[in-house]
Amino acid sequence: MKKEENDAFSQCHPAVGFFFFVGAIGLGAMILHPLYILASGLFAVTYYCLLRGTRGLKTVALSVPVFLLLTFANPLVNHDGQRVLTYVFGRPYTYEALVYGMAIAGMLIVMLLWAGCYNAVMTSDKFMTLFGGVIPTISLLLLMVLRLVPNMIRKVAQLAGARKCIGRGAADNATKKEKALDSLNVLSALMTWALEGGVITADSMKARGYGTEKRSSFRMQKMKSSDIILLSVMAVLAAAIVRLIAGGGTAADYTPIMRITPVTGEHLAGFAAYCVFLSLPTVLYIKEAVQWRISRSGI
Amino acid sequence: MKKSQIVMFVMLLAVIPATLLLGMRLPGRSYYLLSAVVALEILVPFFMAFEGRRPRPRELVTVAVMAALVTIARVAVPLPSFKPTFAVIMLAGIAFGPETGFIVGALGALGSDFFYGQGPFTPWQMMAYGMAGVLSGLGFAEGRLARKNWVMGVYCFVCTVLFIGPLLDTSTVTIIATKFTWENMLPIYLSGFPVNVMQGLCSFITLFFFGNAILEKLERVKTQYGMMESEDGI
Amino acid sequence: MAHFEIRDLSFSYASAKGKLSLDSVSFDIQRGEYLVLCGRSGSGKTTLLKQLKPVLAPAGKRGGEILFNSAPIRALSERDQAAKIGYVMQNPDDQIVTDKVWHELAFGLESLGCDQKTMRARVAEMACYFGIQDWFHRDVANLSGGQKQLLNLASIMAMQPEVLILDEPTSQLDPIAASDFLNTVRKINLELGTTVIITEHRLEDIFPHADRAVVMDEGRVIADDVPRSIGKLLFEQRNPMFTAMPTPVRVFYGAGAEGKCPLTVREGRTWLSETFPNGAKTKSLPEEKDPAETGEPALTMKELWFRYEKDSPDIMRGVSAEVPTGSLYAIVGGNGAGKSTTLKAICGINRPYRGKIKVFGRPVEKYKSSELFSRCLAMLPQDPKSLFVKRSVREDLSEMNADRDRVQEIAELCRIVPLLDSHPYDLSGGEQQRAALAKVLLTEPRLLLLDEPTKGIDSFFKETFAGILSELKRKGVTVVMVSHDVEFCARYADMVSMFFDGQILTTDTPRRFFGSNSFYTTAANRMSRHVFSQAVTAEDVIALYGANREALA
Repeated sequence: MKKEENDAFSQCHPAVGFFFFVGAIGLGAMILHPLYILASGLFAVTYYCLLRGTRGLKTVALSVPVFLLLTFANPLVNHDGQRVLTYVFGRPYTYEALVYGMAIAGMLIVMLLWAGCYNAVMTSDKFMTLFGGVIPTISLLLLMVLRLVPNMIRKVAQLAGARKCIGRGAADNATKKEKALDSLNVLSALMTWALEGGVITADSMKARGYGTEKRSSFRMQKMKSSDIILLSVMAVLAAAIVRLIAGGGTAADYTPIMRITPVTGEHLAGFAAYCVFLSLPTVLYIKEAVQWRISRSGI
Repeated sequence: MKKSQIVMFVMLLAVIPATLLLGMRLPGRSYYLLSAVVALEILVPFFMAFEGRRPRPRELVTVAVMAALVTIARVAVPLPSFKPTFAVIMLAGIAFGPETGFIVGALGALGSDFFYGQGPFTPWQMMAYGMAGVLSGLGFAEGRLARKNWVMGVYCFVCTVLFIGPLLDTSTVTIIATKFTWENMLPIYLSGFPVNVMQGLCSFITLFFFGNAILEKLERVKTQYGMMESEDGI
Repeated sequence: MAHFEIRDLSFSYASAKGKLSLDSVSFDIQRGEYLVLCGRSGSGKTTLLKQLKPVLAPAGKRGGEILFNSAPIRALSERDQAAKIGYVMQNPDDQIVTDKVWHELAFGLESLGCDQKTMRARVAEMACYFGIQDWFHRDVANLSGGQKQLLNLASIMAMQPEVLILDEPTSQLDPIAASDFLNTVRKINLELGTTVIITEHRLEDIFPHADRAVVMDEGRVIADDVPRSIGKLLFEQRNPMFTAMPTPVRVFYGAGAEGKCPLTVREGRTWLSETFPNGAKTKSLPEEKDPAETGEPALTMKELWFRYEKDSPDIMRGVSAEVPTGSLYAIVGGNGAGKSTTLKAICGINRPYRGKIKVFGRPVEKYKSSELFSRCLAMLPQDPKSLFVKRSVREDLSEMNADRDRVQEIAELCRIVPLLDSHPYDLSGGEQQRAALAKVLLTEPRLLLLDEPTKGIDSFFKETFAGILSELKRKGVTVVMVSHDVEFCARYADMVSMFFDGQILTTDTPRRFFGSNSFYTTAANRMSRHVFSQAVTAEDVIALYGANREALA
């Protein structure tokens, strides 16, 4: 069984997941405060690894070079700042720009990690549950695309194989041009095949009454009371964070002068709200794992 | 005026400027968030128009096939830098017009992100791919440009290199640039340039060799099976 | 009360310039009836079925009328048409719209605008009735062909139709999945009383259960009776449709017997036992000769091992075989046993990690690919459509060889001359098969590989195809085919091999091979093995029957 299927947060109603990820990524994109980025990063890494296991750790490790590259590259193009560390190509390479680069790079990596979690949690059927009612035709189209792609990938291999066995198609030692043209040939044959198959799909849709009535949308998941509670909690937390952001509580300027709002006093509550919000999937995961242990030992 | 056109105007003249104004007043650095919201707002009128049209099954299926091909174009070719993605979208735009072209592009982007992973770039990508469909649709609508292979090829090359490519690079800019000066943004656009030229070349090659052959196929499903007609079947 | 009343129905396609595809067709279909519609490809079966569901009816000129529940069918609302008349088509893959099994089940209900509660109940019901629970959450892409077709059926039954129309629903399935599917259809008919109208190539599986059979030819109804009487009618008319009848029927009339015609193998056995109460005098036909040793084999496989991925199980586990030059060599075996994988290994698409393949005595890896696939080796893929890349058959053939005369010659050999200017996708399954074969033959192969060549084609096309194969054989081409179709292999192959569990287990002549099997063998053999030995085709049984009758008389 895949790890995602054991995850309590993935079992929640899709609206919960969607709200969370829009929050995590959207709020994260507005905050450049290093402490907040660090917090978001910690929760993202934890949840990502819970979902993906050791493979997750690998991805996290791979993002380190990207982080370093972006960090060190920023001062090369942004020369603002007070403390000049050195000169590169006669231009100042400043401490402030370096820290700024670090913040931006961190934010980017954190966003990508949350997107990775999103991909694991928000599968296509969840997407459909959310949007099937709002944009029924587009959602249906998306479903059809998702069904067609694996079929087509298989067919591409078949087409290429079939051509190879009659001595057409690019040989192993073919030039780039031959390969490109041959794969376009395959793509064009694939298209004919898919379009003709589509005619049957369309018939099958008609046969099952597509377009006769206003379409309803079948949902596998029902909104449970726990989902509603979770959504309310998230909404309250998100509101608190937005207020904090609007009030400048998360403000952080790097260049030309570094000014980072300290997380003290009234801002501490907002920071806590941010952490609680981001920790929800992890907390749910751990809570369920613990409950499972207890219920098992109880038997 | 059609409902979708009204929505389009409202979006362009009111909602998007309002978003931008509001965004400027937000503290901190919200360029990315702002741009993603605008990208999504651009999707809305196109989606609404498509929903409102209640397309028939055969049109839906054809659009789905083209959108799926956008994903396939990323994997089917065994050469790493050769991705005829935009050629597929642009052909759809030429064959079906700008509105449907947009849907093919946007859906192609969303669909392929389901396979290769979605990310903060998804709204941008949907918008930019959709725009590729719109551009080609506009260029070749009502016989404005001749549907000759080389004309389509050159047009798509130009669109990719001058418009779609930079549009996608802009999404990178909103995420990683720390300062919106030319000096700061230029390296990002410059590093994107060779990729865009390569993409443009792929589009050119695809259309130059296969443009009309593929249009013919789309034409065939239209005539053979009355696919896009308002009255099909009975 | 009649469910459907078809009154003097005629139809011509908009593009057919007045040629009638249906010509004054009249018959009734009773409520709850199980009706088989048979006829060769192009006889108008599909055209007729589509008229019974007007949303699917193509554009064209129509005469006469169809009454559904005593009211004109065209007056039926689209909603009622969708809900009451279910329609299952040939290709399992293309009929599926969405990407998840559960969603596909609900598709029709969504279209009808059902509420959540109804949908939940119906979907659950369908999943249980059709045994789909285990794969309910799966992606459609991971289902087998049989499962996909069952899903199509279930998704239509979810709308609780009164009538179920099935247009060659099993032609793309392997025999086991096909008979499972047909059993489910029969169950629906028996348990729910749903009217079933079905067209099929595999009459053996449905003839015994059908209430009535209607035979069509050139757009007309030429026979309409209970299945037991249809065979006699067709036999007396010397109608080519007779060759599509189940084996017991063909043997019965072919042998010139009189009385109650057997429909099933069981009835056939009883009939033979009663005819020869003391057993047969002449038990078997003269021995077949082994194909003469012609020196160098066309193909040698030695201990081939192959797996798709490093951690996946072995698909080929020591495959060894030797194919004599100039023979028609058949490999039979169950689904997913690795037969197609083996063909791909010969072509170098799959590379075995151990073992040797020699083509005409030379290791396959020593050939350059341009050498191997020109005047040497070629493969006809399972789906003939995989070979078509152009917009007409002629252009597709010219892609292989620019020489017009040669193209014409091969087109004549494959009997596709009248089809040369058609779009490949406009041909019927059997025609596509032959067009694809022509394309393959233009590489002038001396060793021809065929992957399931009889899949989805009807008995006449099979005969035509067999004719082409024997002509090729005469010209010295060696043919290796893998197939599920034991009847075809028994009749036309020189040697048959059994593929099982990644290996080739036994190899023998068709008579000895099928004659010694008791499950995995032809209907003719199952029907006659208690009286005759090694009679594996209807012709064998008829010959032995004749010989013994003479002896009795």
